[in-house]
Amino acid sequence: MPGVLEGVRVLDISYGIAGGMCGRYLADYGADVIKVEPPDGDPLRRTGPFFQNDPHPEKSLQFLAANLNKRGITLELEQEQGRQLFLDLVKHVDVVVESFKPGYLSTLGLGYDELAHINPGVVLTSITPFGQTGPYSHFQGEELVQYAMSGIMSISGYTDREPLKHGGSQAQYEAGLVGAVTTSFALFSQSMTGEGQHVDVSITEVVSSTLVETQPPYAFRGGVPGRRLPKGRMFTDLMPCKDGWVSLTAGGGRATMDDVADFFEKPELRDASFATPSSRMERGEELDGIAVDALQNWSRWDYFHEAARRRLLAGFVQTVPELVDCPHLESREFYREVEHPVMGRLKVPAVLFNYSETPYESAHPAPLLGQHNEAVYGEELGLSNEDIQALRQQGVV
Amino acid sequence: MQPHQAALPFEGIRILDSTYIFALPYAAGIMADHGAEVVKIEGPSHIEGVRRGGQAGLYAEGDPGDDWWNRGGIYNLLNRSKNSLTLDMSNEKCRDIFRELVKISDVVFENFTPRVMRRWELDYPNLRKIRPDIIMVSNTGYGHGDGPYSTYPGVASAMEPTHGLANLTGYVGGNPARAGISYVDFVACWTALFAVSAALRRRQRTGKGQWVDVAMYQAGVMNISEYLLDYMANGNPGERIGNRHRYRAPQGVYPAQGEDRWIAISVGTDAEWQALCSLIGKPELAREPRFASNAERMKNHDELDKIISEWTAGRDRYELMEELQQVGIPAGPVVDAFDMHVDPHYGDRGFLERVAYPEDRKMGSRTLIGRPWKLSKHDVKVRKPAPKLGEDNHKYLVGLLGMEPDEFEELEKEGLISDAPVPVSNGATVPDEELLKLKIVSRIDPEYQKRLGIWE
Repeated sequence: MPGVLEGVRVLDISYGIAGGMCGRYLADYGADVIKVEPPDGDPLRRTGPFFQNDPHPEKSLQFLAANLNKRGITLELEQEQGRQLFLDLVKHVDVVVESFKPGYLSTLGLGYDELAHINPGVVLTSITPFGQTGPYSHFQGEELVQYAMSGIMSISGYTDREPLKHGGSQAQYEAGLVGAVTTSFALFSQSMTGEGQHVDVSITEVVSSTLVETQPPYAFRGGVPGRRLPKGRMFTDLMPCKDGWVSLTAGGGRATMDDVADFFEKPELRDASFATPSSRMERGEELDGIAVDALQNWSRWDYFHEAARRRLLAGFVQTVPELVDCPHLESREFYREVEHPVMGRLKVPAVLFNYSETPYESAHPAPLLGQHNEAVYGEELGLSNEDIQALRQQGVV
Repeated sequence: MQPHQAALPFEGIRILDSTYIFALPYAAGIMADHGAEVVKIEGPSHIEGVRRGGQAGLYAEGDPGDDWWNRGGIYNLLNRSKNSLTLDMSNEKCRDIFRELVKISDVVFENFTPRVMRRWELDYPNLRKIRPDIIMVSNTGYGHGDGPYSTYPGVASAMEPTHGLANLTGYVGGNPARAGISYVDFVACWTALFAVSAALRRRQRTGKGQWVDVAMYQAGVMNISEYLLDYMANGNPGERIGNRHRYRAPQGVYPAQGEDRWIAISVGTDAEWQALCSLIGKPELAREPRFASNAERMKNHDELDKIISEWTAGRDRYELMEELQQVGIPAGPVVDAFDMHVDPHYGDRGFLERVAYPEDRKMGSRTLIGRPWKLSKHDVKVRKPAPKLGEDNHKYLVGLLGMEPDEFEELEKEGLISDAPVPVSNGATVPDEELLKLKIVSRIDPEYQKRLGIWE
């Protein structure tokens, strides 16, 4: 069964997680994506974690995650011959994904206007820390800095501590997905009109866009939300139980505060003075005590299953090993196996969502550096092995 | 990039949006910004939850007014550019009307629990019988199918720990933590937008529709991929490191001049480190062996945090950003909801968009979050304010479906359609003092109406 994006051809000249994930999601759902790396490779290849903790360029697990299902070639865009080869490739593709500093591609003669001149249908998707325009567009970005400037850290963490970032590289993953969204929008448009366009994604704004509970308080009544109080916020925060931590969105969904009272076997929660979120905040510390007491005999798993049975909106702090071994993710076929030429057989997080008619096909590993040079330059541009050898000697590929 | 007046990408696409809260309502609002005709469908006795101002009393000016259900801040942000139709989906007559609408629509968005749509015979196998090329997007906590949690109710705020993020979020040495938002709702929102737009493209080329099954849990787990792989390959279960980086040091959020003012700084390379030493007037630190390499800086991070904090404290966070960026160090202030409205970069990019309400709404004009991208060929923007409840009932039922006026009145009388919640209730205000006392907000700007030009 062909994927939903069957026939779409993509050159991914980005580096890092965000651009990589954008190209990967397009590849996951059927596009033919060629990862184009400089001869020394995407810097992500030098970023951990590494397979067996061995910092080898073919063993970066972060590179693997961001580049599944792509083919890979090398190309030096800083050389004239490399730029010419790139333009030859652009003639045959629908999409170019990039993450260079705004303006860099134009200085190489590879900006949107130049690409559109040789291929009017091409979509150029740029994913950068602060976007293509504006006073900060040339600033250096990093996950923490983008998180800070997005606004999300102003509400994360506790009032008696510094603002707190989410773990991992959430902004990069989200921006990669948003890159796939906008590329797909532009491809829909291209399908209707034959014309491509330049798409400008700001990683910082991707996170800002999630502040739908933080921006309106200012625009609608002048309020500036802050971080959580360290105490008295149990029902909106994590609660300790026998073997870890659990969560509950009290009074959400179809469960009432009375249902919570029954579940916790704490009739005092039926008290009308706990009925509203504000009243629960006002008597927060008292509530903390009730929750801690009620949960001390619950294990995380028993709590999770029993709360769900009672239709309470509940969760628990699940660990990485548990998620690797999760029966529900297995039922969704979330993990797939790939056979990597260097790392061997690996299970990888693979399936973002399910389509009924164009389901996710089998997963392929990220490419080795320059793995498909012969196939791409030879079969698609018609270069001979000698031509490719010569380019290699000149450091172009 | 000069937008020219090409048609919007999704002009001519009609979306039935029977969804609630954040994820899919936001996705549908964004589709509407891009030209789709979106019909938000709510039950008169099951109205959109975010129409309520909640504990923040989040109505325009904190005032529920005569029609609180149209004045909620979050409702108005997420549901911009849409039309509003009320239909009590628990009623068979209304479900028949819904089926009539499906026949003349391109896309259905829904986020009921899996068994609800099956019971109503409105699941994908049934919808494709009445509209073979329909594209249906379902968003649930754990997805459809027969997995062990498929029947579990899910909401982003309670799920953040379950999909693994809370265990990796928290201060160094501290407990697991949640960030202050419904994080995975937005991952689901972007996922749905990717899925529906790619499916629309395929339909345009093949004439075929399909069903999209988004599980928030699954989408959330994807975003910790490197931790999952690290565990499988190396047995490393992951850790909580606050604002630090696994591979860069020093990095953190440091106090700046003023109350609750912070600057984020991230140093990774030796060149960045040397530049920082010069900037803070301590070039000799660059020669200290215990800070000479990234590995050494990781080991002595606490000491570095102290040195950097001493330099940042008492300095303006925006000036710090400029100085640090000038020498090539990634740095920027922790921005809050107020800053977002006055920061020059947000302003220059037009990230917040102004939407003017008709006079009878008594809302003036408001700034709303737009979207984190720009398309060079389309002038994408919020096209109109979020609709009043049931504002478009007549347009769709009588105008489009050709319902007889007396039948329309009958539905109104039965409370199956309405322009107010059934039963109608009062909206509760929450005074400013209480918001401050309960720390729902950290401060209130008394000048916000003037500053934002709400009544101009």
